[in-house]
Amino acid sequence: MTSAQPPAPGRELSNPPTDGISNLRFSNHSDHLLVSSWDKTVRLYDASADSLRGEFMHGGPVLDCCFHDDSSGFSASADNTVRRIVFSHGKEDILGRHDAPVRCIEYSYAAGQVITGSWDKTLKCWDPRGASGQERTLVGTYPQPERVYSLSLVGNRLVVATAGRQVNVYDLRNMSQPEQRRESSLKYQTRCVRCYPNGTGYALSSVEGRVAMEFFDLSEASQAKKYAFKCHRKSEAGRDIVYPVNAIAFHPVYGTFATGGCDGFVNVWDGNNKKRLYQYSKYPTSIAALSFSRDGRLLAVASSYTFEEGEKP
Amino acid sequence: LSYQTNTKLLREAIFKTKQNKTKLFVSFSFSSGIINMSTQRIDPLVQVETTCRALLNELQIIWEEVGETDADRDEMLLELERECVEVYRRKVDQANHSKAHIRQTIADSEAELAAICSAMGERPVHIRQSDQNIGSLKEELRKMLSQVEEMKKRKEERRNHFIDVLDQIEMIINEINGSTESVSSETVVDETDLSLMRLEELHRQLHELLKEKSNRLKQVQDHLNTLNSLCSVMGMDFKLTATEVHPSLGDSEGSRSISNNTLEQLGTEINKLREVKIQRMERLQDLATTMLELWNLMDTPIEEQQKFQNVTCNVAASEHEITEPNTLSDDFINYVEEEVSRLEDLKSSKMKEIILKKRAELKEISTKTHLIPDTQLEDAIEAIDSGVIDAATILEQIELQIAKVKEEAFSRKEILEKVEKWLAACEEESWLEEYNRDENRYNAGRGTHLTLKRAEKARSLVNKLPGRVEALTSKIMAWEEERGTEFLYDGTPVLSMLEDYANLREEKEQERRRLRDQKRLQGQLIAEQEVLYGAKQSPPKPQSAKKGSKQCTGVPSTKKVALGGPMLQAHKLDSVNSPRISQTRSNKKTEFMLQNDAIPASPAFKRGQDIADAPFRKHPSNGINTNEIESPLKTIPTNDPSNNTMTPLKTISSVDEENRKPKAMHSTASVQMQTDITPPPTLQTSLVEETHEEMEQSFEEKRLALMHSDKQIPSMIQV
Repeated sequence: MTSAQPPAPGRELSNPPTDGISNLRFSNHSDHLLVSSWDKTVRLYDASADSLRGEFMHGGPVLDCCFHDDSSGFSASADNTVRRIVFSHGKEDILGRHDAPVRCIEYSYAAGQVITGSWDKTLKCWDPRGASGQERTLVGTYPQPERVYSLSLVGNRLVVATAGRQVNVYDLRNMSQPEQRRESSLKYQTRCVRCYPNGTGYALSSVEGRVAMEFFDLSEASQAKKYAFKCHRKSEAGRDIVYPVNAIAFHPVYGTFATGGCDGFVNVWDGNNKKRLYQYSKYPTSIAALSFSRDGRLLAVASSYTFEEGEKP
Repeated sequence: LSYQTNTKLLREAIFKTKQNKTKLFVSFSFSSGIINMSTQRIDPLVQVETTCRALLNELQIIWEEVGETDADRDEMLLELERECVEVYRRKVDQANHSKAHIRQTIADSEAELAAICSAMGERPVHIRQSDQNIGSLKEELRKMLSQVEEMKKRKEERRNHFIDVLDQIEMIINEINGSTESVSSETVVDETDLSLMRLEELHRQLHELLKEKSNRLKQVQDHLNTLNSLCSVMGMDFKLTATEVHPSLGDSEGSRSISNNTLEQLGTEINKLREVKIQRMERLQDLATTMLELWNLMDTPIEEQQKFQNVTCNVAASEHEITEPNTLSDDFINYVEEEVSRLEDLKSSKMKEIILKKRAELKEISTKTHLIPDTQLEDAIEAIDSGVIDAATILEQIELQIAKVKEEAFSRKEILEKVEKWLAACEEESWLEEYNRDENRYNAGRGTHLTLKRAEKARSLVNKLPGRVEALTSKIMAWEEERGTEFLYDGTPVLSMLEDYANLREEKEQERRRLRDQKRLQGQLIAEQEVLYGAKQSPPKPQSAKKGSKQCTGVPSTKKVALGGPMLQAHKLDSVNSPRISQTRSNKKTEFMLQNDAIPASPAFKRGQDIADAPFRKHPSNGINTNEIESPLKTIPTNDPSNNTMTPLKTISSVDEENRKPKAMHSTASVQMQTDITPPPTLQTSLVEETHEEMEQSFEEKRLALMHSDKQIPSMIQV
């Protein structure tokens, strides 16, 4: 796939995963990049040096990963496990298990907890400092209306997007019940949810080429600001081809954001002024994940088939 | 050499004469021939020869006669010869001297010539020529002298040229520098350098100076022109101004001063005038703007405007665009100023008129809406005249008040109408009371049927009155709560009016009751008296149902009229159309309602209140209709403000939905987000449809389900 296409924008990292990428994330402290993949590995790259720093095998495809600090991270695997990876030792311990594949994982610096969302329709919080053993590390299990598809954190707010177009907003300090229960304002399956860096709301994307910009504040004035817009579409011979929007990433400094879709495009938007700022030239295949580095200087783009059209030869 | 040979020859000749006297002559003639060889004049020589011969002959004769000896003769001859030689020598010396002198002179002249030539920068060609040309010294001298003379003449000429040029240069320089001292008569010319080159140089200098002078003259002329135009625009005396700068500039004839100083002064004068001009122009433009505004404001007729068209056309002109003479003169500006002040006076008087009109309007509205007009503006005109307040602000205030009053009137309208109705009803009530007191009211007469009709109407009105009062009270209370002020009707709070009315009513009721009691007592008294005086005892029946029913029949009883007071009668007549019991109850109810403010809540009151409130309770659902039953506005529902409160929620929500859509989106050029909320496009990709046909599954779920296949999809990461 790579060789046949014209060179895509940006610098391609060497030693990519051998199968589809499920997620990637920049560290909050360096230009290190953690990549989870369907090839059952989590890989740690130094993006500036273009070097593979580590590769950690898992029992099943890894669906999500996140950093703890620069020396360790967490992964969510399709073999139902939540793991903690210590990069220097190449060591992995299992923090705990879900009853179904773990779809997404977040680490909250505010709460010092790992939050995982799974297709077993639960959300679990873990204390990674606890000694090994599931009983010690598990902080709580919170049932969700449907399978968890996407998670996003900002400050003490946690936004959980599930199947059935449900969105739950939690306060990490009081996880007993959602602070807000919402239905997605989009009509189709939620692909990704990401909170604004300023903590006032979240962006939610669907499989039907649309992104909704929502606000936490339920006052009428704030809710009047919410809107949705179409993107990642192609008009061909009168036919509108609509692509799923797989990834959203907010710029940590400017609050602008990038979206990546199955059309292989990465668009950069200014949400306040409702303008598209930039479109990167087309990548060879779907954009699976996006992440800005801590200072916003780098944008990691994972271009890999996201299985939107089923098995491909 | 020739002298020596000559002398030798002479000696030979003299020696020969010693031997042969004849030979002497030959030698003599020979020697004289040598001496006079250069001169070709023969005559004097011949003369001298003949004279000499004759003298020798004479001497020989004398000697012969005397008989001198040969020795004496020889000695005499020798002496003669010696004397001759002496004479010759002297002459030769003399000639030598003169030759040397001539040579000297020639050399001098040559030197002089060379000096002159060098001074004039010419090559002394003549000297070389004279060297080559071998002529006699005298000739040479002559030539030389003539050359020198000529050169001197030329030099003089040249010098004059120089003087001429230098004089001119100096004059111009003086003119430019503005030094008043006259050109010095002695022009010092450098005698050593009178070459053409120098002259040319001086000419160049002169030329340059002339050019500068002409430039300056032009400049001065330009300045003067500018000055002239400025002066003419501002109506000033140009000549005077110019003369002030420099006396020579005043008159157009004669040379003008072109000195630096003059130029500078001219420049500063021009700048000064320009500044003055700009000042005046600004002033004039200000005036013109004011004037235009005033015209605009007061719709001044074109004819009047035409007079000042030349002023107003310059409103936006820049400084150099104003060139028309006298447009900026003091007189003209004063003239314009006068006009502006006239217009301003006119405006202020008109303003006053408007203010008065507005005030009248305000008063009218106030009286119409039974509001107390604000008296604050009464002395506005005096305030304006004394200059304390600006007329415009007053006008603004009045306008504001009018708007406020109008707004208030609008908000009061509904209630006011009710109040008016209520007052009318009250009037009707009092009329009815009066009417009821009239004992002859049923006497047939002219127009009695009309009065009866009126009474009938009034009765029904009075029956409705309590309910109306209740509704009005609650309405006013709601209004007051909303506004936070009292609802005033010609300055008196309506609520207090209503309260008074209620009190009055109660008083009347009490009076009525008192009369009733009195009557009952009277009845008892009569009964007692009858008992006392043996009359047939019968139970007192002051207000039995029977009586009531009897009354219901409408048969008037004169006896009752005699017994009961007018109030009681009125009460009874009130109930003429309804069964007694219900009437009393309704009266009771009315009473409670009227005590609304006066009596603290009692159960009965509460009940009354409940009943009274009922229509208002219903308000949210069909309150408009219940209100409108009594409202004349029913016929014009669009004007009824209360109608708007019931506008369907649907429109509000639709507005809301529109608000959600960002408004700023349409005007920008860059790529816009497509934020329509319309349903998704009809043409979906198969994959989207797919996801909806089956049970909802994310791509990952599907993929995991298919994970058994070994196929691995290559991927890459890009940064």
